Amino acid sequence: MSALIRLRGVCKDYMSGPEVVHALVDVELEIGAGELVAVVGASGSGKSTLMNILGCLDRPTRGRYELAGIDVTERSTDQRALVRNRLIGFVFQGFNLLPRTTALENVELPLVYRGVSTRERFRRAAHALAQVGLADRAHHTPAQLSGGQQQRVAIARALVTNPPLLLADEPTGNLDTRTSHEVLGLLQELSEQHGITVMIVTHETDIAACTRRIITVRDGRIFRDEPNAARPAAAVESRP
Amino acid sequence: MNALATSLRMAVTAMLRQRLRSMLTSVGISIGVAAVVLVAALGTGARGEIDKQIQSLGSNVIFVFSQPATKSGAKSRANMGMGLTERDAEAIRREATAVTAVTVYSEVSAQVMSELGNGKIGVMGVDESYFEVRGYEVASGRRFNESEAQTKAKVALIAPTAQQKLFGNQDPVGRWVRVGKHPFRVIGTLRSKGQSPFEDQDDRILIPIGTWRSRVVPTLGDRVQLVMASAKSAEHSGEAERQVKQILMQRHQIAEGEEPDFRVGTQQEFQKMQEGIFTVLTVLLLSVAAISLLVGGVGVMNIMLVGVTERTREIGIRMAIGAKPADIQAQFLLESIALTLFGGLAGIALATGLMLAFAKDLGFPMQLSGQAVAVALGTSAAIGLTFGFWPARRAAHLDPIEALRHE
Repeated sequence: MSALIRLRGVCKDYMSGPEVVHALVDVELEIGAGELVAVVGASGSGKSTLMNILGCLDRPTRGRYELAGIDVTERSTDQRALVRNRLIGFVFQGFNLLPRTTALENVELPLVYRGVSTRERFRRAAHALAQVGLADRAHHTPAQLSGGQQQRVAIARALVTNPPLLLADEPTGNLDTRTSHEVLGLLQELSEQHGITVMIVTHETDIAACTRRIITVRDGRIFRDEPNAARPAAAVESRP
Repeated sequence: MNALATSLRMAVTAMLRQRLRSMLTSVGISIGVAAVVLVAALGTGARGEIDKQIQSLGSNVIFVFSQPATKSGAKSRANMGMGLTERDAEAIRREATAVTAVTVYSEVSAQVMSELGNGKIGVMGVDESYFEVRGYEVASGRRFNESEAQTKAKVALIAPTAQQKLFGNQDPVGRWVRVGKHPFRVIGTLRSKGQSPFEDQDDRILIPIGTWRSRVVPTLGDRVQLVMASAKSAEHSGEAERQVKQILMQRHQIAEGEEPDFRVGTQQEFQKMQEGIFTVLTVLLLSVAAISLLVGGVGVMNIMLVGVTERTREIGIRMAIGAKPADIQAQFLLESIALTLFGGLAGIALATGLMLAFAKDLGFPMQLSGQAVAVALGTSAAIGLTFGFWPARRAAHLDPIEALRHE
């Protein structure tokens, strides 16, 4: 079976004033369907740039990116929006839910841009919320939800389109230990039981330890890429 | 369609979230739209009223006013603005072939009394042709006859407003009114003529011109204030006007090129004058509308730009989960259109309120037509589209990564 993600010689250069910054240098990467992967690295290592490219939010300067067998490198803005909508679910550190908007409406949002009927949107959003255990919070706004609940709403929003890839950028960064476990457990479950490829960007090693593969980025290159015997999220040691 | 309905709901929700801001922003639009609606209402109401007023003067009437002629700054001869005489009228009647009837009148505002009331009322001296030329109709009783005119009989016909002042709801025919020391017998009442371009045509009593000259204002001799002539038809009114002018120039011994001591005006000229006033009013209101809409539109643009900046992160989220630039652009355009449409609706309400409040003072009906509402809403939407375009475009062209990072 072919890889879900395939990067070939991907480079990303930025102009920072007069200087060229090589954010990514010749990245080669293959990730299969259903993998649970952590991307770790210090800030400035290029892991955010990598995630932006994987999330079709940014284009590589050179190289080639194939997602689910589709070359998305040279796609137009509209086509990349379509790819994000169909193939990718995003979970952010800051939750990034629309304020003053109910959980259900937040979860429905990706389907709005897909032109799904109101009734079908409601059905699927309610189902996604139930999957993350928040069926009873459907009509709460983010302000009425705890951090862990907000992040679970965000995960439901990422899931509602049934994407093959879920990109989580520091998903536990704003959460305490206990809720971090819950969220991490949920991501593990999605990968193991639903065959979704989950990529977690983190700078915390104990979070990375819960995944099956750890990719370390340093100076814009893949410094280390090794399998890991995943521990269950509950085993994550308490952080201060 | 489903996507549009959803976007529309999002737009209205966004607007309602900032109630105060939305209201303040749309004030300019409201005033502009109210002005547009008023112009449209004036168009339907006032034009009809002007026509009606002009028609009430009679049909194809030519008016001759006396005017003080000035020569080298000094008023000439015995001509102090009462240069027209009854003999002028007779000459026109005799010589002008394009004219069917000629009448004269003089009017003075005087205190008139009856046993039931009194008031300041126009007392008009008229000849028998006056009724035809001006189209006055007798409601009850009769007109004065030739012998009454010749013997300067003290008889009067009374018009509705004066009748109300002097007699209330009582039947005045056969009763008496007094002008100065002279009692007049009321022999008839007149049908209402309504408002003319100049005055209330119903606030007056009509007496024979001879009687007027000997009893009411005895100092004027056979001079009259106004001569009116009826042209044969609308086509003849130009010719009639020329003839009247020529006859009077001759009689008053005024050379070609000299300033005459009278002025001739036709009904058409009055109509033009009235329409001129109407046009000025329209232009004024439309200027107010244009300026308000422009200023209001800039306000909308400003607030939309503020909205785009405030909601940069939201835009980033929407883009990340699959909104195309066109989706974002449509969203903000719809919001600005919702804002201006709201302003437009408020403007229609404002205009309706003003019309109801001032309809009485203006003295003619103004109607809120479906066409006016359509124009107002169309204008509002167009303003929203125009001034929302740039902010919406700016939102659509944000970089999703930058937008997501935005605090």
